[in-house]
Amino acid sequence: MLSEDILIQRLGTIVGPEHVVAGPGASAYAVDGRIPRAVTFPGSVEELSAVIAFASAERLGVAPWGSGTKIALGGVPERLDIVVGLSRLNELVDYVPEDMTATFQVGMLLKDAQAILGQRGQWIALDPPYTDRATVGGVLATNSSGPRRLRYGAARDFLIATRVVHADGKITKGGAKVVKNVTGYDIPKMHVGALGTLGILAEATFRLYPIAPAEKTYLVAFSAVESEQRVIAQLLDSSLVPNAVELLDREAARQIAGQVGLPWQAGHYGLAVAIGSVPEAVDAQIAALRTLCGNGGGLHGHVLDGDTHHGFWRAVRNFTFGDGQRAVLKASVLLAKVSEAVRKGEEVATRAGLRLGIVAEAGSGILRYSLCGDRPEGFPQGVAEAVNTLRAFTREAGGSLVVLEAPPEVKARVDVWGPAGSAFSLMQRLKEQFDPQRILNPGRFVGGL
Amino acid sequence: MIRETRGFPSPFTPFKEVPPGNAKAAENPMLKDKARIVRELEKIIGPNGVICEEDELRVYDTDGLTIFKAMPDVVVLPSSAEQVAEVVKVCHRETIPFVARGSGTGLSGGALPLEGGVLIGLNRVNRILEVDYENKRAVVEPGVINVWLTNAIAPRGYYYAPDPASQIACSIGGNVAENSGGVRTPKYGVTTNHILGLEIVLPDGEVVELGGKTLDTPGYDLVGVFVGSEGTFGIATKVIARIMKKPEAVKTLMAVFENLEDASNAVSGIVAAGIVPVSLEMMDNNAIQAVEKGVGAGYPLDAGAVLVVEVDGPRAEVEALVHPITEVCKKNRVREVRVAKDDAERLLLWKGRKAAFAAMGQISPDYYVQDAVIPRTKLPQIMAYISELSKKYGLRVANVFHAGDGNLHPLILYDSRNEGELHKAEEMGSEIMKACIGMGGSITGEHGVGREKREYMPLMYTEDDLEAMKNVKRVFNPDGVLNPGKIFPTGAKDVKAGPLGQRGIVEKVLGHS
Ligand SMILES: Cc1cc2nc3c(=O)[nH]c(=O)nc-3n(C[C@H](O)[C@H](O)[C@H](O)COP(=O)(O)OP(=O)(O)OC[C@H]3O[C@@H](n4cnc5c(N)ncnc54)[C@H](O)[C@@H]3O)c2cc1C
Repeated sequence: MLSEDILIQRLGTIVGPEHVVAGPGASAYAVDGRIPRAVTFPGSVEELSAVIAFASAERLGVAPWGSGTKIALGGVPERLDIVVGLSRLNELVDYVPEDMTATFQVGMLLKDAQAILGQRGQWIALDPPYTDRATVGGVLATNSSGPRRLRYGAARDFLIATRVVHADGKITKGGAKVVKNVTGYDIPKMHVGALGTLGILAEATFRLYPIAPAEKTYLVAFSAVESEQRVIAQLLDSSLVPNAVELLDREAARQIAGQVGLPWQAGHYGLAVAIGSVPEAVDAQIAALRTLCGNGGGLHGHVLDGDTHHGFWRAVRNFTFGDGQRAVLKASVLLAKVSEAVRKGEEVATRAGLRLGIVAEAGSGILRYSLCGDRPEGFPQGVAEAVNTLRAFTREAGGSLVVLEAPPEVKARVDVWGPAGSAFSLMQRLKEQFDPQRILNPGRFVGGL
Repeated sequence: MIRETRGFPSPFTPFKEVPPGNAKAAENPMLKDKARIVRELEKIIGPNGVICEEDELRVYDTDGLTIFKAMPDVVVLPSSAEQVAEVVKVCHRETIPFVARGSGTGLSGGALPLEGGVLIGLNRVNRILEVDYENKRAVVEPGVINVWLTNAIAPRGYYYAPDPASQIACSIGGNVAENSGGVRTPKYGVTTNHILGLEIVLPDGEVVELGGKTLDTPGYDLVGVFVGSEGTFGIATKVIARIMKKPEAVKTLMAVFENLEDASNAVSGIVAAGIVPVSLEMMDNNAIQAVEKGVGAGYPLDAGAVLVVEVDGPRAEVEALVHPITEVCKKNRVREVRVAKDDAERLLLWKGRKAAFAAMGQISPDYYVQDAVIPRTKLPQIMAYISELSKKYGLRVANVFHAGDGNLHPLILYDSRNEGELHKAEEMGSEIMKACIGMGGSITGEHGVGREKREYMPLMYTEDDLEAMKNVKRVFNPDGVLNPGKIFPTGAKDVKAGPLGQRGIVEKVLGHS
């Protein structure tokens, strides 16, 4: 094994010594409690390639790092020698507004990318958690999405081209910078949600969307989650075209309403529907929604506009719960099972003595459970029980459950990803083809890949 | 030169295209033991589903791109996923090359059995297994014809969004393999945006489930990787698709222009104005002539180009979009904007567009269609260049294409009875591809690489890029017995590369001497 000094020196010759961090500074880049031997910040795709080629030659375990907002996703690293920070790869590569496509280096903050595009009335149709701090690459590698996925799809649906640094340092491109392309295999999709285990994304090209001329939210309370589910089913069976349909459990509704200064009666579930279109169509749809919800048992409807509307959705995206020990689980279930998944979560949390908040993209079947505990001793075991019970439930309901965020003591007790089914051997072979030495985020992905 | 490591004849060694009715490649195990293998296949499927008579096999020797021909040794027509898997196991055990075929409407020679062997026709595996309105999913078998699904769910107000112009004939399995687009693609995307799960039979007969009814199943997005793999990764035996609620309102406009340039500028203008129409289709004068002779859709015969634009959504949104679209057209000297008054008028406009390829027979004995893509701002430029090429080669071109996606379909008109015309058509097509790549585009937007465009892959991808793709192929199809000879360039200069096997075109366009 390379000595510390040589490791730092070699990385320094690639990226410049001022862009290598080791010693105490490296502990800020711990992954699941594992502190890397060095952190390095390449300043170009070529430098990134050289760093990875070096890591490959020395068989160093590598963890790519965007801004760390989702570094908790994944199993505990099998080994970790260097963290490769991508924050210096933060350039706009090209942007032709009239073509509605743009290419960014992956270290750019999503927020900064959106600001550039926003000047032309366009955006990357992604509104994941921590949008303000997340990088483009981190969002892609974790397949992070948000409430507006219902309308626009997820990263896989509009990531049209990639430049990737492979485990041996080679740089390749996949896809094309046009909105429609079937030349060869769809390489970009392979890297979405792959946690950098098949290669490190360096540049990403997106098909862009125009920002809706107007967007407003209709927020309404329900006393029972079952009646809310019935209204959601009617909404999804209607010709209304919502941008987002979010179900908030009692805790999330109370907190989020509080954050944007809306009156909220404790004990009510929330339904928030965002409508985006030309102003007249927004108002017409909100009126229709009001009727639909009113007939279905909805209480105290509010129309949110402007800053309140934006603040509300920011609070929904970033909703987490608890300051100390906490865990976030993501379930994906059939649309008809969302309310049951909420009830199941409540039951499980009560049984495990945990506090719970749920935000659910009810139109996509995706729930985020935030769990926290008042007694640190019982926390890991409580979460592990919750994971197992909810996973069994989601599997029966045709879905899956992934641990998005949890302390290492929880990860020691449960499989963060759950089973990948009969496709797992293909996934193993894919990993073997693209990272035969297992240097890229080893052990962090599904099935310990 | 990159080579695959595998026991089976590599796609990187020049293959022999199997001429109809002739002796097959000598190493084909089918030959040695055909009778035994046929008996075994019959045991799986029954005698009604196995074809080995030459005149019946001939039905399967080409697809929608008829200039390529390759005969299978045997065609099997299973009627269930289980039978498909059993057949595949036999092929695997005997190392017999095999290929899946849906409806054979493909336009890149994707379903051709280039090395002979077994062709698995999937038309009989064609049940709609489940429609789950509550969860917005349909589960279908691969032989289901695209439009059947929409027809089946229309009474409940639902539809399946990807709608290739060939939708009355093409299969959903074929759509999955090609990642087909349709006229609704500008707003609703292509096939891959609507497929959530697959059951596939791998080339060794193993049955694997990818994805599912719910989103974000843990692990790599193998559904995303499989869709568009052109039948080289496995055979899809079950498809889980998203179904959508029909919009409240639809409006279809026809905008008539004096020339292609104005129409192209209008397309760029509509996209740049932040309008996302459902459809934005263009036809030039040659296409209009053909369509009007063929089906009479009411396009003005003296127009330089027409755009068919459709918007849908909530009524108030649709009403609000008509005006800005009209304004962009006016800025680009539109002669007339006609809004379809009712469904009958709307359907007539679409009938013309959807019948356009078939109508070409009205104005030319043969056509050769290209499928390249450009960034949408480059439309006026590429249209001008294509008409220049048309003059240079002395071949007419009819343009009928998905302008909203920048996905060109120049139909190069030729007459195969005239010596050398197909050669010219191919050469012209290769120049169009090259120009599109030069503008930052792609060689194929929806028809696939298949047999047809494989030698042109280096226009777009480096050896390393292609090697990464081959790595994925090795995962699914390590021996290459499934659908050999597709997608990847054979590279060798002495290979018969073009549709007619004319030499020199590929070398010229790739810049080799
Ligand atoms: C007039 C006309 C108009 C067209 N318009 C369009 C259009 O608008 N948009 C568009 O995208 N295409 C269009 N096409 C092309 C063609 O219809 C599509 O590519 C279609 O998806 C092919 O389906 P198929 O069932 O005919 O497939 P086939 O031609 O039978 O096969 C195509 C490929 O799919 C593979 N395959 C078939 N079934 C399976 C399966 N179950 N599992 C794995 N692989 C399989 C085959 O091996 C082959 O590689 C058009 C074609 C014609 C003739």
